[in-house]
Amino acid sequence: MPTLVSYLIVSAALLGIGVYGLTVKRNAIRILFAVELIVNAANLNFVAFTRYMNPPQVSGQVIVFYSIAAAAMEAAVGLALILVAFRLNSTIDVRKLNKLKG
Amino acid sequence: MVDVLIPPDVTFVVLTTITLLAAIMALQAKELIYGAISLAISFIGIAGFFVSLDAPYLAMLQIAVYVGAVVVLILFTIMLVRREEADKTEKPEGGEGAAGLWIAGLLAVSIAGVAALAGPNLPTTPPPANLPISQLGPVLAGTYPVPLIILALLLSAALLGALVLAKVDR
Repeated sequence: MPTLVSYLIVSAALLGIGVYGLTVKRNAIRILFAVELIVNAANLNFVAFTRYMNPPQVSGQVIVFYSIAAAAMEAAVGLALILVAFRLNSTIDVRKLNKLKG
Repeated sequence: MVDVLIPPDVTFVVLTTITLLAAIMALQAKELIYGAISLAISFIGIAGFFVSLDAPYLAMLQIAVYVGAVVVLILFTIMLVRREEADKTEKPEGGEGAAGLWIAGLLAVSIAGVAALAGPNLPTTPPPANLPISQLGPVLAGTYPVPLIILALLLSAALLGALVLAKVDR
């Protein structure tokens, strides 16, 4: 079985990909993709740590259970917000959604 | 259970490749629809990690919720938002792409470096016992009942909020 560190490195790589998407992408839907990737990196960390604990624990899996539910809601609300923003501005380019800029 | 059929290291390498490549494709694919499908593949890779980490229930939940619900929701939104608008690929403005790459790379490398430095203190082999799924229920409802209730309230609030936001006024 791979060591715990290898799982952590995979998770860090996934986080890096997500942060790159968050900072560079301009399409709101793609930014949502990046957020989901970051949440998944965190979930992977939780499950890996809880698996390697001695004696075995199940708490990390329960936290990931909550996290998956929270991410599902976040996607639902986020996509509804994107729909509203598209209806009002007919664009989902986040660089152009700057009506609040002074 | 997977370990018996295939050497675990091969499983790990294959899952890592699938997950990371699909994650990159999800962000870089020209068309948004292909990006959403790559995202689904990446989520399936994570579900594979969950299976290899002895959490089959979470793997099922991951596939049902992420691949079944979230990605389908994203696909519907892409269809609702005008197609040419959704597909307009964003060229990062001068230097923006490089800056993002530096930030993300530094973050990932520093976290991976900390993990690698802490490596000798971290357990290398997992305890052999496998956790039965039936152990999840008592912890979920017995040890952490309050978060479960808050989650239920939050879920209904989020559903109502999404409905109100997406409603068209006539």
